[in-house]
Amino acid sequence: MFEVKHITKTYGTGRTQVTALDDVSFRLDRGRLLAVLGPSGSGKTTLVSIIAGLLQPTSGEIIIGGKQVHLRSAAEAARYRRTEVGLVFQEHHLVPYLTARENLLLVPHLSGRVTRAHKERADTLLADFGLTERAAHRPSLLSGGERQRVAIARALMNEPEIMLVDEPTSSLDTERGLQVVELLKQQIHERAMTCIMVTHDPRMAGHADEELHLVDGKVVDNGARAAVEAGIQKS
Amino acid sequence: MLALKELLGSKLKFTLIALVIGLVVSLTMVTSAMSEGLLTGMSGAKSSLEADALVFQRATYPTLERSILSADDLEIIAQTPGVASVYGVGHTYASVSSTAEAFDVRVFGLGDRLDQLPIVEGTGAIGPCETVVDITAKLEGVELGDTLTLTPVDAKLTVVGFTEDRRYVMVPTLFVDLPTWEGLHVASVLGRIEEEGGTDAAATAQMEDDFAGSASVAAITLDEGVTLEDVQDAFGDDYTAASPDEAARSGNGMPEMILAVGGIQWVSITIGALLVGVFFYITTLHKTGQIAAIKAIGASNAHLYRQLLLQITVLVAVATVLGIVVALGAGAGMPPMMAFDPDPGRWTVAVLAVFATAYVGSLFSLRSILKTDPATALGRSSEA
Ligand SMILES: Nc1ncnc2c1ncn2[C@@H]1O[C@H](COP(=O)(O)OP(=O)(O)OP(=O)(O)O)[C@@H](O)[C@H]1O
Ligand SMILES: [Mg+2]
Repeated sequence: MFEVKHITKTYGTGRTQVTALDDVSFRLDRGRLLAVLGPSGSGKTTLVSIIAGLLQPTSGEIIIGGKQVHLRSAAEAARYRRTEVGLVFQEHHLVPYLTARENLLLVPHLSGRVTRAHKERADTLLADFGLTERAAHRPSLLSGGERQRVAIARALMNEPEIMLVDEPTSSLDTERGLQVVELLKQQIHERAMTCIMVTHDPRMAGHADEELHLVDGKVVDNGARAAVEAGIQKS
Repeated sequence: MLALKELLGSKLKFTLIALVIGLVVSLTMVTSAMSEGLLTGMSGAKSSLEADALVFQRATYPTLERSILSADDLEIIAQTPGVASVYGVGHTYASVSSTAEAFDVRVFGLGDRLDQLPIVEGTGAIGPCETVVDITAKLEGVELGDTLTLTPVDAKLTVVGFTEDRRYVMVPTLFVDLPTWEGLHVASVLGRIEEEGGTDAAATAQMEDDFAGSASVAAITLDEGVTLEDVQDAFGDDYTAASPDEAARSGNGMPEMILAVGGIQWVSITIGALLVGVFFYITTLHKTGQIAAIKAIGASNAHLYRQLLLQITVLVAVATVLGIVVALGAGAGMPPMMAFDPDPGRWTVAVLAVFATAYVGSLFSLRSILKTDPATALGRSSEA
C-alpha cells in the first residue's frame, strides 16, 4: 500500500513564497491507477516530483509498504528512484543514441550489471507493449505513441513499488493517448502495481481506477470538482 | 555502455574532435622529435663522446670552439685524483672544396679512442690523413674512398668510413686522429695570423711547438665512486668539467632552443587539453535535458562522471594513436638534413600530459553534471 500523509510544499521565502501543495493526503492500494487532475499550476508536477524523490517536501511523509521514505542525500534519492520508482515524463526522454531495447536495459545498467533475467524481462515488456518489431530502433525512428510506450516499458523495468506518470499523452492525439492509457492500466492491473498518472484530460482520467483533484495545491472533494472541471473545459 | 554507445551514435562529431586533438598531439610529437633532432644535429658529435666528463679550459665552458688545452694541461688533468683516464678531443673548422659545391664541416680529432664511432659503412680504423665522416656528408656528394680537400688549410683527407648521428652545429663532422687534427688546427691558426699581417719562421716554429700534444678539451673517465663534483673541486677554477650531454645542451644557443621548443610543446598540449575540456563541457551543457532525465530515473553523478571519463579516455587514446601516425608520417616525409629524432620517453610524457590535462578539463563537465537538477526532467518544478 502506498500512502501520502499531510504533504506541504512551499517554494521560495517571504514575498515570493508559493504554496504549491497544501496538506495533501491520500492512499492507494496495489493494482490501482490513480489519476491526478487539476488546472495548470495546481501542484500536480510538484506532487509527482516529491513522491519521486526529486524534491523534498516542506513537511509531511510518504509511506511505501508501511515504511516511511526518508532520503538524506542526493545519492540516496537516486538509489530510491532506481529501486522503488518508475518514472514516465511528459516528453518521452528516451536516450537518443540507444535502441528501444537498450533504453530498457539502461535501468538495470544504472543499478549495476545487466543479467540474462534483465534481458528476458526487457523482451517480455517490449512484447507486452507491442514493440517487439521496434526493439532495435532508435527513438528517432519511432512514432510518438511508440516512444511513449517504450518510456512506460522502461519505467516498469525495475519492478517499481510506485509508478509515476506525468501527462504521458500530451504529445499524442486523443485516440492514441487513450490507447496508451488503456495499455498502462492493463499492465498495472496485471502486475498489481500502484500508479499515479497526472493528466489535464478528464477523458484519460475516466480510464483510471480513482481520481484525485487538486486546486491551488489542495485536494478538493466531489462537490467542488464540477466547478473545477468546468473551468478546465473553458481554458 | 552509455559512453561507448554515445560515441558510436555520433561518429562524425567525435571523429572530427578526435582528428583535431590528434593533430594537436602530433604537433607536440613533431616538435619533441625535432628538438631531439636539433640536439643531435647541433651537438651529436659532442654529446656522444665516450666519457664521464669533458674538461674545458678555464672560463671557456660551454664553448668548445674557444677551449684549448696544452700537453701540460692534459698531463695535469690526468694526474688529478679521481680521474681514471684521459684522451684529448680536438675541434676545428674547415670547408670541403673538392666536391661539386664546397660545404662546411667540423673536424674532430680523437686521441687514442678512435674506435668509439659507430661505423655504418667502410672501416673505423683511421690512419694519418684518413677520416671517418658523418653519413650526412653523402648528401653533399661525398663517397667512400674520396679524397677531400680542406680549405683554408689546404690539407687532404681520405674517407675510409661513415658514421652516424655525429653532426655538429648542423654540419657533418670529420673524425681524424689527434696528430692530424693538430696539423690542421695549427695550419688554420697560422693562416689566420698570415691574413692579419704575416708571420716569420721563428714565430711559426714557436707556435707549432706550443700546440704540440694539445687538444681542445679533455674527455675523462672517473674512478669508481668519484663524482663529477669531486673532480671539479679538485680542478678548482683552472678547468671546468661537465658531462658530454650537459655540455651539449649548454653550448651553441641550445638552452634557448630547447626552451623555445619546450614552450611550443606546452602551448600545444594546453590547447589540446582545452579542446578536450571545452568540447566535453559544451557537449554536456548541450544535453542537460538528457542528463536530468537519466538522473531522474536514478543515475548517480558518479555514474555519469565515470561515463564521461571513459569517453575522454577513448577519445584521447584514439587521438593519440592518430597523432603518432601523423607525426611519424611527417617525420618520414622530412628531408634527411632536417632534424627529426622521435624519442619514446618524451612522447610518453607528452601523451601523459595530454591525458592528465584532459581529465582536469573534464572537471568543468563534472560541475555541470552536478548542477543539473533531475527535477527539471518532469517540468519546471526545480528548486534551483
Ligand atoms: N521551482 C519553483 N519555484 C517557485 N515556484 C514554483 C516552482 N515550481 C513550481 N512552482 C509553482 O508551484 C505551483 C505548482 O506548480 P506545478 O508545476 O506543480 O503545477 P502543475 O499542476 O504541474 O501545472 P501544469 O499543469 O502547468 O504542469 C505553481 O504556482 C508554480 O508556479
Ligand atoms: Mg506539471
